[in-house]
Amino acid sequence: MKYRISIVALLAMVASWTLFAFARAPKNNTLPTVNAPTTAEQADSMRVEGEKRFHANCGRCHMSPHKFSPRIMATAVRHMRVRATITDEDMRLILFYMNE
Amino acid sequence: MSSMHTTWCLRYLLRSRRRSCALAAAVLALSLGMSFGQTTEGRPVPLFTGSVGFLTNVDNGVPELQPIFAPVVLAPIGDHWLIESRGEFSGEFDPRNGRLAGQLDKELDYAQIDYIGSRYVTVTAGRFLTPFGIYNERLYPIWIRKIETLPLIFPIGTGSSDGFMLRGGFAVSPQVSLNYATYFSVMSNTAVLDSDRLTGGRIGLFLPGPRVEVGASFQQLLQEDRSRSTGFHFAWQPNSIPLNLRSEYAWSGAKGSGYWVEAALGLAQVSRWQHTLRHVELVGRGQQYFVGNLDSADSQEYGLPQANTNEGEFGVNYYFRDGMKGTFSYGRQLSSLGNANVWTFGIAYRFVLPMGRTEVQ
Repeated sequence: MKYRISIVALLAMVASWTLFAFARAPKNNTLPTVNAPTTAEQADSMRVEGEKRFHANCGRCHMSPHKFSPRIMATAVRHMRVRATITDEDMRLILFYMNE
Repeated sequence: MSSMHTTWCLRYLLRSRRRSCALAAAVLALSLGMSFGQTTEGRPVPLFTGSVGFLTNVDNGVPELQPIFAPVVLAPIGDHWLIESRGEFSGEFDPRNGRLAGQLDKELDYAQIDYIGSRYVTVTAGRFLTPFGIYNERLYPIWIRKIETLPLIFPIGTGSSDGFMLRGGFAVSPQVSLNYATYFSVMSNTAVLDSDRLTGGRIGLFLPGPRVEVGASFQQLLQEDRSRSTGFHFAWQPNSIPLNLRSEYAWSGAKGSGYWVEAALGLAQVSRWQHTLRHVELVGRGQQYFVGNLDSADSQEYGLPQANTNEGEFGVNYYFRDGMKGTFSYGRQLSSLGNANVWTFGIAYRFVLPMGRTEVQ
């Protein structure tokens, strides 16, 4: 009886998370491709922030990888989005930094 | 589709190795075909990556050679999908009667389809690494591990599961990010796709400022003895020095309990012999395992020590280049069944091969 209650509770949690996540998702939530900065200052700011996020997230598990081509990095960062549960913003900024 | 229907479908597919392999091959072929069919305007390219290594392990005076090959396939589709899979082929060869003899093991660690639905949730289906603690999902590959021998508590709550999972990470505030995973696994007796019927979850908080992560894991087995497992993890990378401090604790009603604490210090900041020392990393790990109610027969089946065990290890890693390292470690294992010296040395390499054009058109 206890594990049945656990299963029901888990399914209810899963359902509520799903409703919350998909209900809050903006309609146009395409994944990076990173939005290009419009000014040089924006680009510098994104580069600095991307470097910080790169060292904070990638350095948690492994040595910093050297820069691969943008198409390879896009796949690797998507893999990390899933595997390391980095945030969406981390992924965009890290991808921008690595492609600079 | 109801959860019962989904469970029935998964069981039907997983019951036969042929059906499972055919399904996996069909999905991979479809995904690669769709990936190649896309234009190359900055789109992610499918990757064949993974690690290969050769380790020598001397445990209590008995040498053992361990070649390892762990290929990973990453196939991104569109903006939201990722198909990923990792296998592991490893050998354990030791001298017997003047010859090297042993066996070659092959495993399917994961073969999953991920849908990144939003910034809050990713839906995963298929075979995936059980998200219990941080070692199984993030630190297991040989090119990532700081010490090649696995922690004593590694078999508690980990392995691979067949089912579905919700996971994600998002910023709760500028100072705190939350990451989570919750999953359900069906029971499978197919050799390569073996898994237990269980459910569980993991939650963690990451503070990007001080670079601290803390988290907890929970797992409920829904078959056999219906045991429960819990765990905690901690990680810290100070901003001022190249130190990586990690720790895990795990408790299981059926498999005992224990913890490990590991510290890895890079020598890049040492002023002398910079040309060499900047590639060097010193590692230390201390761990304890408590057998609890586990009997010796079950200990061997789970790959756990048969008695309470303490172990201290020290190691050195030399990074020749990105993704390639030479590794050495010495450990002293103390147990009521006898003490032992454990030496490990070898080389590990991570390769990345794109399966398509890499230039942006």
